[in-house]
Amino acid sequence: MERMEHAASVSAAQAAVEPSSERTAGERAWLDVKQGFENWRVWWLLGIGDIRQRYRRSKLGQFWITLSIVIFIGAIGVVYSALFKQPVETYIPYLATTYIVWTLLSGIITDSAGAFVQAEGFLRQQALPKSTFILRVLVRNFLSFAHNIVVLPFVFLLFGVAPSWTWFAALGGLIVVALVGFLAALICAILCTRFRDLPQIIQNVIQVAFFISPITWRVELLDEPLRPWVVLNPFAALLQIVSEPLLGRMPDPITYTSAGLSVLVLAFVAWPLFSRFRQRIVYWL
Amino acid sequence: MASITLRNACVDFPIYNARGRSLKANVLRRVGGRIDSNNREIITVEALRDINLDLRPGDRLALVGHNGAGKSTLLRVLAGAYEPSRGVAHIDGKVSSLLDMTMGMDPELTGRENITLRGIFLGMTFRQATEITPAIEEFTELGGFMDLPMRTYSSGMTLRLAFAVSTAVQPDILLLDEMISVGDMSFAEKARIRLEQVMENSRILVLASHDPMILKRYCNKAVHLREGQIVAAGSIDDILEQHGALEQG
Repeated sequence: MERMEHAASVSAAQAAVEPSSERTAGERAWLDVKQGFENWRVWWLLGIGDIRQRYRRSKLGQFWITLSIVIFIGAIGVVYSALFKQPVETYIPYLATTYIVWTLLSGIITDSAGAFVQAEGFLRQQALPKSTFILRVLVRNFLSFAHNIVVLPFVFLLFGVAPSWTWFAALGGLIVVALVGFLAALICAILCTRFRDLPQIIQNVIQVAFFISPITWRVELLDEPLRPWVVLNPFAALLQIVSEPLLGRMPDPITYTSAGLSVLVLAFVAWPLFSRFRQRIVYWL
Repeated sequence: MASITLRNACVDFPIYNARGRSLKANVLRRVGGRIDSNNREIITVEALRDINLDLRPGDRLALVGHNGAGKSTLLRVLAGAYEPSRGVAHIDGKVSSLLDMTMGMDPELTGRENITLRGIFLGMTFRQATEITPAIEEFTELGGFMDLPMRTYSSGMTLRLAFAVSTAVQPDILLLDEMISVGDMSFAEKARIRLEQVMENSRILVLASHDPMILKRYCNKAVHLREGQIVAAGSIDDILEQHGALEQG
């Protein structure tokens, strides 16, 4: 009782003034995303810092990853082209393209699992928008992708893949991937902060997705009636809207529809989840 | 205008054990099977309960209380890092919390690069960060170390740099967990003057400390926290007197 009176004495003058603009959870979630984008300097620097930290003080730096990708493509390319009875000169460019795009997709999802947990030090100290740390994951992975894609011109030159106007469509595909990546990473990051055994489960899903998506195999190898089913796999659709244009082919409308649908579905899941639990994230750390 | 308004603000921490953290355990619990009654409920720790606070320009608030009374949690609520789990927190104005000054700094980068990094975290643009660099260089007296990676610094040097950048921006609301003292004797004096200036120019100051002398010197109001609640609020002298009496009695 005494406590109440004392508290009142500090606030006596303004006791009647109520905060006028009470925001709903949805509005604050929207503000978080908006401020997150406005804060581009923060996530840009954090993303660059992540890349630098991964290979600090090594000469090759980020290109270690690129090198490991080259080795993967070389080894798997030779073995699988024999296995699938595909000519090496078309199989390797195909594998190189799909695998590099896949590395981007899977990297965003796996990294997002730790997005908030990793940022504990920041989140507990300062009122930074939560979306900052999702965007940081995107920057990190797109930078990584920019390093890896350097391999493609060499592969294309070596195996005589001609430049094509469809490469511009690949840019459009990358924008869709960024959008899907943001939404999916947001969902993963929230759930993985709350449930700490989820990252392992996601890791498994990604592993399975690698094998059931047309990365090492071509859709044309499937029996005719089975082919349309491939695009039901959202990973496949997202992969193809970037990799197919890079290889000089336009993906069919169904692939774009499937990719567009995953944007919608993810948005419908991510939005309520983020609005509802955004402010709880710090408490789960 | 700078202002802080808290209405019945509560902060509850859920304490999850390994089972509570696990999705598998949560799913299996729904599906059925043996339920261990101890694991059923999520224990919550009430870090702050029904905090009411109104601060306006000119207020210098001291937070008094024992360890674990909720001082640091309250500072984090005021910083905007914790949004109250119940109640309302309305913080208006540019907040600077010198709670963790090295936040965001990267030991692999040079001192100069870290000024940019830390500056960006404080809301500067790249240009602004570059502009303050010479002044910070001079203030920290780091000289040639400025172009070396921060991992080569002693902890005192790192703190000098962090302090200099963190105090380079003038906030509306300044939050302090204990008075900061940085560096050796001559530098500590310089740092104190700089900090006092930032404190002076802040419209609202909130300072948590165990030292009554310091609180008396910088604050005009005080709240006494115990077990996450405000047990007394009023002028600094009254509260310190009560608190002192409590300590002895």
